[in-house]
Amino acid sequence: MRTAVVASSIAAGVRVAAEIENLPGVDVFIVVCNVGMRPALLRWARELVLLAKSFGRWTPARLWRYVRLHRLIILSRALDDASSTERLRSLQCDVGLHAANVIYREPVISAFRLGILNAHIGILPAYRGRSVAEWSVLQSERTGVTVFFIDSGIDTGARIVLHEFISPDGKNSVEKLKKMLFGCDARLYRQALEALMSPEFQCDRNDISKGRRYYVMSEMLTEVVNHILMGLDSFGLPNRP
Amino acid sequence: MDSETAHSQSVPPDRRNGILCGALLQRRSELRKSWKHLISADCLEHLGPIAPEVGAVLSGPDAARGWPLLDHFTWLCSDADFWGCLQAFALAKKIECRPGDRTPAPLSLASLKRLASADGFKLLCVRYRCPVNIAAPSELEIAEELLRQLMVTDRAKIEAGGAFDVAGVLLRLNLVGIRALVARDLRSLDALNYFYELPHRSLVRMRANSRLLAFWLCIYTQLLSKPDWLKCGQL
Repeated sequence: MRTAVVASSIAAGVRVAAEIENLPGVDVFIVVCNVGMRPALLRWARELVLLAKSFGRWTPARLWRYVRLHRLIILSRALDDASSTERLRSLQCDVGLHAANVIYREPVISAFRLGILNAHIGILPAYRGRSVAEWSVLQSERTGVTVFFIDSGIDTGARIVLHEFISPDGKNSVEKLKKMLFGCDARLYRQALEALMSPEFQCDRNDISKGRRYYVMSEMLTEVVNHILMGLDSFGLPNRP
Repeated sequence: MDSETAHSQSVPPDRRNGILCGALLQRRSELRKSWKHLISADCLEHLGPIAPEVGAVLSGPDAARGWPLLDHFTWLCSDADFWGCLQAFALAKKIECRPGDRTPAPLSLASLKRLASADGFKLLCVRYRCPVNIAAPSELEIAEELLRQLMVTDRAKIEAGGAFDVAGVLLRLNLVGIRALVARDLRSLDALNYFYELPHRSLVRMRANSRLLAFWLCIYTQLLSKPDWLKCGQL
């Protein structure tokens, strides 16, 4: 399965690629977007800083292998630009893995045979949109991650590949909880690719009528969620009043 | 397709509700002290005879009306116009309304989106002459769109410091606030929280429509004062 990690930086791309590159039957490309269309100097300074920060999770040899095999593609224009879309098409990938802070339009999505997978930090179809981890905690629902094929709507893509409930225990703030959930993406992408390569696999349906769209949470409710999370002691049990 | 590493530890509802209730009351207390920074003396003057009542709602003891959770919502009609009904609602007065003979034809979301802001404003004022109707199940799609407009389009414009349609934003805040109160939708309440938390320089721009600004804050006050927010099953 030809797979492209669509990443916001080389470091982000390498991190996800490292998890899936040893999967049998998977060929990995890393496509790096110029998010925010930064000038070249600023962009490369950022890339170097991020690579330096993540050193240890990549090696020069591994990175060089991607460069040498022409599997590291640096887009200079916006992802929606026709030339970028054409470049994506030329890779003839089956699946894209979302690791960039961008919104995908239809031409980009359809550049991949099966589509682009997103690791959404909420359980679909119940929790679409923003701040869904916080809303789940506030509403006493289980937190977790859903891997699904995106469409051009907000978490409305119809095909869910998998979801995993992940406990917030031990994460005593919204920031830590979200960081942990976001950090599960590479592992869950790996599981999703394994599932997709299995002959009997069928996607679940993301029935949006069974959920709601959520929006960025106010400071007030975020603080409420922080307090709820802090209410869990180190054993994961609520403190007694 | 469904895997589970661990059960998320569920915080007991009582504890969650206690924390949420405390935060709402704290915000209510803050608003009681600070509303005059938003509704300036000039604004109060523009409000005319209702200024003392607005002040009483915002500064006084809690004045929330007990809207029951509605299983079967009936479209309501009123002899008062939109502004009369909205004022009564904001000031927690009794609204003279009665069940309508029939629900109006559905409002198409596409047609609402196509309208220029001034025309959209008029259309909403006519359709929601009795503004409680925004909480009717038949209006869910429109109510969701108003919430989306607030939390995506309006929020982006305001946070970027650009020009925004003050009357349109305030009308949406009022209708979304009413929906929060009647339908107990916490997402709608949180939209009001979010806008209240905008930088002061953004909020003072809303003084351009002092009446809608005052009504919004009065409705927000009622939302914060509602003790039974926390008892509803679906937050």
